[in-house]
Amino acid sequence: MDPHRIYEIRCPVHGFVALNDWERRIISHPAFQRLRRIRQLAWTDQVYPGAMHTRFEHSLGVMHTATLLYDSIVRNAKDVLSRELGYDDAGFRRNRQLVRLAALLHDAGHSPFSHASEELFPDQENGEGKYGHEQYSAAIVRGPLRGAVEEHKLNQGNYGFTADDVASLIEGSAGAKQGIFWRDLITGQMDADRMDYLLRDSHHAGVQYGRFDLHRLISTVTAIPGVGGEPPRLGIEHGGWHAAEALVLARYFMFTQVYFHKTRVAYDIHLREALKELLPGGHFPAPTPGELEEFLKWDDWRVLGLLAEGNGGEHGERLSSRRHYRMVYQTNEIQTETDRKKLARVREALGELVAAEMPAGRSWYKRDDTDIAVYRNFGGQRTVAPLSDHSNVVRNLGKNDQILVYCLPERKQEAAKKVEEAIHGLE
Amino acid sequence: MDWSELQDARLAVITELASRAPGGHIGRTALMKFCYLLQIVRGVSLGYRFTLYSYGPFDSSVLSDLSTAETLNAVQSNLTYYPGGYGYQIRQGEHANSALEAGQDFLNRHRGSIDWVLREFGSHGSADLELESTIIYADREAARRSETLSIELLAQRVRDVKPHFVEEYIRGKASQLADKGLLKACRNSVSAR
Repeated sequence: MDPHRIYEIRCPVHGFVALNDWERRIISHPAFQRLRRIRQLAWTDQVYPGAMHTRFEHSLGVMHTATLLYDSIVRNAKDVLSRELGYDDAGFRRNRQLVRLAALLHDAGHSPFSHASEELFPDQENGEGKYGHEQYSAAIVRGPLRGAVEEHKLNQGNYGFTADDVASLIEGSAGAKQGIFWRDLITGQMDADRMDYLLRDSHHAGVQYGRFDLHRLISTVTAIPGVGGEPPRLGIEHGGWHAAEALVLARYFMFTQVYFHKTRVAYDIHLREALKELLPGGHFPAPTPGELEEFLKWDDWRVLGLLAEGNGGEHGERLSSRRHYRMVYQTNEIQTETDRKKLARVREALGELVAAEMPAGRSWYKRDDTDIAVYRNFGGQRTVAPLSDHSNVVRNLGKNDQILVYCLPERKQEAAKKVEEAIHGLE
Repeated sequence: MDWSELQDARLAVITELASRAPGGHIGRTALMKFCYLLQIVRGVSLGYRFTLYSYGPFDSSVLSDLSTAETLNAVQSNLTYYPGGYGYQIRQGEHANSALEAGQDFLNRHRGSIDWVLREFGSHGSADLELESTIIYADREAARRSETLSIELLAQRVRDVKPHFVEEYIRGKASQLADKGLLKACRNSVSAR
């Protein structure tokens, strides 16, 4: 087999995703193939029937997008990177491959139905909260995928990467060394992950909300020199700020129309509760050497099989019969003190009729900070300003703190009446 | 703590830090690193998940909560420019008291820790806070693996992440943190060598 052969895989978003023989071997490993059995958007197909795509195709797309971003940054800011991070041509080649591997494997640790079940990750022993899917990804790279990452001729003859090098960049560890600079491309404000998922989720859901000018954005992304002892940071050249604005808006629309859709959120709640019934101890095995193998046995197929056998309890039954919770009240996206008081009255009036609540801030897809740095070099005069200083739209796009309140479908009328009485006169 | 209580606690801490910071305002970097230090060094259960970037430990949820605090006018942010960059001055807002009252029990429990972070780190600049929090992050990673590090080895690991700092400066900062008892894998500059 020729280790230098390049392969291409069809992609509905990017056309073709190119990969080398080393990456192809990694993709062929069972720990990566498992992603073919994990849907990207959980039960979103109950609202948007086309949204049946998987983490597998998304991971390929992230590798492709991260490479485009990397190449563009090097094109636009080679001098900055050479000066501040000391790269020579070999350094640029090495980091490019590291970014590709980290991007490809960043989601290897997803649990069944992706983010919908992440709340069932166990607590860490050090008291720092629950494990995150990046820690599972890193553990899989250091464990089952170690051989596939380390033992290919392309690696041994050219890069000498260890599984630790890739895992450290994925999880955000000091072991990533100077490669940590590129972590913003894997998980950050303008990362390859969200650029890919917005376009891919839009495509499969059949909506236009997540679309933006990917190629303009990519061509203007750059590394901005650090000042006052700070490291260089990723940002956007002045000519690309409208494309960055469109990315921010795409996230807003996708959040409100798809990710935080009231019915989709209800299915997330039922899935989580059903999984508590299915998982031993009510949570996933930990990403530790003793439990990781067991974790990898969990995928959508296994969960669906167990649900089909009637093992998911009341919530499993609600999933299969579509008798999901119904939204009975929603706050405004931007909450004022008055909104908070109104919600308190609704909660009091509904009492035990409240089956569940879901705040937007608790959603994995919540819209985080929009502070993208815009860099301008005009005749040697260099300025850096936040995107919000250029864009009126971004400046006024407040954070979505909406809360959705749910009741049982069989008690929807009763609950709706109580809500109406509670807020009467306050509208 | 349920989600709503956690949110109240986080907003109260952000508001308290902005209200009591030296000079009456705090920057975003300082806010991020103070939350990190409170959670990791002092064990204040803010529920953030910090991971490492070239600019130190970071969790975008802190900025998300800051945005909520701004919307509620518990704090207000003003953009400021300096040569080659920009920053924010975050001050107490008109409705700060509502946020402080909502998280009062949490604040009362952790007032000593907030006093500590403002006393020990309140006057430090952004670059130093990024460096100091990175040193603590690298130290905690080593401690989780039951490693014992010398100041030199810890400084070398941090320099790999932050190559724009000279190693001697990093060693000095690490020694100061060790002398204050804030490092776990690297207890002080002598015994671990």
